[in-house]
Amino acid sequence: MRYTINKINKGEDELILNYKEKDPEVEAVLLFMDKRQRKLIGRKNDETIVFTPEEILYIEKVDNKTFVYTDDNEIQVEMSLYSIELFLDDESYFRCSKSMIINVNKVEKLKSMPSNRIDATLVSVEHIIISRTYASDFRKLLKGEMA
Amino acid sequence: MKKSDKKKVSLWERYLTKEIGIEFKACLYFFGVLFYYCTYRLCIGVTVAEILHMVEMIFLTYAVGYLQVYVLWNFDESDEINKKELFGIIICTIIYTAVSYIGKWFDRNPYVTLGFAAYIVFVYICVYLVYKCRRRIDDKILNSDLKLFKTRTDNK
Repeated sequence: MRYTINKINKGEDELILNYKEKDPEVEAVLLFMDKRQRKLIGRKNDETIVFTPEEILYIEKVDNKTFVYTDDNEIQVEMSLYSIELFLDDESYFRCSKSMIINVNKVEKLKSMPSNRIDATLVSVEHIIISRTYASDFRKLLKGEMA
Repeated sequence: MKKSDKKKVSLWERYLTKEIGIEFKACLYFFGVLFYYCTYRLCIGVTVAEILHMVEMIFLTYAVGYLQVYVLWNFDESDEINKKELFGIIICTIIYTAVSYIGKWFDRNPYVTLGFAAYIVFVYICVYLVYKCRRRIDDKILNSDLKLFKTRTDNK
């Protein structure tokens, strides 16, 4: 495949892929583009907010409502944790408790806690505790040993 | 296989994990108590250990393990030694000392029994430090794995 990269000074950044047949290389670029194009919609104080999965710090279920936390927003989404997990379908989003999913790429620091728990400090300085039940899967995920 | 389809840890597995932890503690403290007991026996010129004493030690360390995990906040694995942890150490030391006195492990010698109490406190502090040290090493491994994970996902 021939690559053409143009640096522009005006207009929106754009990625165009021209292909005749899908080969593994094209598939990889399509997968990358598809992932980048995914968006989620939620509400905050009657205002509709569109955001990308990459912006998510963590997702929490509180009183049967699902909230997505980003750097500067707390957004309520009309999806269950399970549906979001299926939608994201990415190892970066880890179910760290019954009611929470964290974006591992937004974890700044990890601390081993008593009783095999793990304290994850996010880039927003919030602390999320990964319980003993989920900690062993989390360790496997970090090591790339998850099936 | 989707993440949510993965087998969840059952109640039995959770119980088993805790139980293994208690058994590990029982072995660890039994070894500590036995060491003091054997040293005492050797000092008084006795080269054999009483089986009955050893059985008492095993049952006691197992029972105290339960107490530590389910009632006393698993104090030897805590992050810091505060009032609550100190309380746990004192309670367990009193139990060990009382049983050693009642069971005549040290022939009810008050000095050796008091020495045993001090030794138990020392063992608890050592175990606390060992766990703390192990967690520090674990911190390093976790953070290095996290770094590798991020590099891996960035390259995908």
